[in-house]
Amino acid sequence: MSDDRPRVDITAAQDEVTRRELLRRAAAGAIVLVYGGFGVKSAVAGAPQFRGRELKGTLRILQWSHFVPVYDTWFDNQYTKRWGQANDTEIIVDHVNQADLPGRVAAEAAAGKGHDMVALLAPAPQYEDRVIDHKEIVQEVRRKRGKMADVCVRSAYNPKTKKWHGFPDSYAPDPINYRIDLWKQVGARPTSWDRVLKAAPKLRAMNHPVGIGMSNEIDSNMALMALMMCFGSFIQNSKARVTLNSKATREALKFGRDLFRKGESNEIFAWTAASNNQGMLAGRLSLALNAISIPRSAENTNADLARNIGLLPIPAGPHGRLGLEHVMHTYMIWKFASNKKMAVKFLAELELKYRGAFEASKFYNFPSFPASVRNVPVRLARDPHTPKGKYDVLKTISEKYTKNVGYPGYSNAAIGEIFDTFLIPQMFAEVAQGKRSPDDAARAYQRRINSIFAKWRRRGKI
Amino acid sequence: MIERREKLMSYLVLGPFAIVLAFPFYWMLWTSFKSDIDLYNVNDVPFKFGKGSPTLRNYAFLFHHTQYLTWVKNTVVVGAIVVLITLVLALPAGYALARLAGRWGQNLGVGIFLTYLVPPTLLFLPMSWVIAHIGLQDRLLSLIIVFPSFTVPFSTWLLMGFFKTIPAELEDAALVDGASRLRTLLYVIFPISVPGILTVVIFSFSLVLNDFVYALAFITTSNAKTISTGVSTVLIRGDVFFWQGLMAATLLPTIPLALLYNMFLNRFIAGFTGGAFR
Repeated sequence: MSDDRPRVDITAAQDEVTRRELLRRAAAGAIVLVYGGFGVKSAVAGAPQFRGRELKGTLRILQWSHFVPVYDTWFDNQYTKRWGQANDTEIIVDHVNQADLPGRVAAEAAAGKGHDMVALLAPAPQYEDRVIDHKEIVQEVRRKRGKMADVCVRSAYNPKTKKWHGFPDSYAPDPINYRIDLWKQVGARPTSWDRVLKAAPKLRAMNHPVGIGMSNEIDSNMALMALMMCFGSFIQNSKARVTLNSKATREALKFGRDLFRKGESNEIFAWTAASNNQGMLAGRLSLALNAISIPRSAENTNADLARNIGLLPIPAGPHGRLGLEHVMHTYMIWKFASNKKMAVKFLAELELKYRGAFEASKFYNFPSFPASVRNVPVRLARDPHTPKGKYDVLKTISEKYTKNVGYPGYSNAAIGEIFDTFLIPQMFAEVAQGKRSPDDAARAYQRRINSIFAKWRRRGKI
Repeated sequence: MIERREKLMSYLVLGPFAIVLAFPFYWMLWTSFKSDIDLYNVNDVPFKFGKGSPTLRNYAFLFHHTQYLTWVKNTVVVGAIVVLITLVLALPAGYALARLAGRWGQNLGVGIFLTYLVPPTLLFLPMSWVIAHIGLQDRLLSLIIVFPSFTVPFSTWLLMGFFKTIPAELEDAALVDGASRLRTLLYVIFPISVPGILTVVIFSFSLVLNDFVYALAFITTSNAKTISTGVSTVLIRGDVFFWQGLMAATLLPTIPLALLYNMFLNRFIAGFTGGAFR
């Protein structure tokens, strides 16, 4: 009988591979791979040491990648280097995309280790217990520069615990960006919401819809909360009582629904923070509520378009003209920071001489202490881009029409949660899409927001 | 005649799928050569180059004004080591589950696979705590240690199924001829398992390339970033997306991976489907 079993020749090997030999070779290989470096020794072994003079201390900062790259170049390579040399401190600045910052900050909070201070684009009162009281910085700057802008006080101070849970060094005013040429064609200017609604169908017919988003992103949050305030609708009152379910809210929701139906397109329900920028830069949108990243980007990519983008304060509603800051750039120093003293000093001195930051950011960063930058109108007027003087209006907007998220109350932890979970854009979207009536939406979201407030009240933060 | 008709039919069916699947890559390639003004001109989208295009400026920016090459190097280093760790752990584990674990092997294999399904968004916070407390924040070693937590379970399950397709008689023959279990593994099983091993290599490397959450949570130092976080930090600034650079940065690493997939396509398919037929 033939043997049908498959033949396997295993006798040829000259060097026997025993278990011990295999482990030995594997260990050698691992050592070579990990410590051989592959040209990235510093990455495996840790952050590189400062080349040059050894500095006594280290200060680590985490912040966003500024939409003006020149600002990061100024901050990372000039300001912090100079300050570090003068204060015998090595400053390491790390950047993360703004949409990813909250996740990274949450990871540091969970780990209890990381940077000495982090900067978010909105106050984060939910971390109040994990950060120091920043009052020393506020007091120091106040002593030399006078009052802090009210919008910043209400964003970073908790009147219940009497704690400064962050230090906002700057904020960005939120103007209307509109196409001068298109609005001229329809014979109007977006100075009131009523005019916007009247012009919207004509603009959409010209294939240039209005761009007020209703998506889970920051621009929609800001635009819709501001629109609500213009109608007299507020999430809370000055005593942190929820006041969402009101006639004013219902009117604002109806307005949002009408604006969508008459003058916008479906895309607004799937927007990201960049969508209204891109819509304006593509020449498609006729209006957006956004910081000055739109005209500044247009100046770099399309000079003709840039000339036709104008800036105005938020349109007036039945209750008046009330806008929000587009960004409240707030530093937080962790309790676990290894260099709290230097962090406090750094922030105070950054704010005291904020001119460099203001100019480097191309007027995006308005100082939280107005006196920190002198002659703002003169600086704004000096901008060479046409139409000449288009940025002058930012001063008026910052002084008169910029309120904090949660106005007339403070930006407390409940407001922060409502903001971070995009409840207001969801409310508007449901009404605009016909899923809920304005009455139902106001009632339903009042209930949801009540439970959020109750939670934070129980925690003693409101 | 019939053959020609069948071929035509298969092209008619597969053609639209191929176009739909390849279109995003075409879009990425086209966009990466566009100037700023052309990018936002809706009349030129997607088939035309307009004013200022095509241009190599976006690639030049990527290579000369960002640390892109460092991020690619970091990704390759992490990927290579993670693949190695995965193979070292998953090969014997898969074999043991397939051959030595008896009735429990199958259930254990499924249980191990289920850990792969736990999303990183649930785990990144506790993992951050662990990484911080062993002093590996901002180091590639943090990724090298953590990534096998999802590459190994999937690879073990995949290899388990693959090893089951190998006839036990082969091993019996080797054992009867005097080979140890280890020798049988190295000289009999592994050479036959090349499709499965290749599948594990390619798939694990793809997982490493695609990871974002852990890379974001553990590393913020620019020279230690991988492609996924490095590119998004520099080329997404606030609400301004540098689309051309983004497309270039994400397209370039996919080319070698696509070539690798293509070269070993048959073996890759065999590796994935091997466990399906027993």
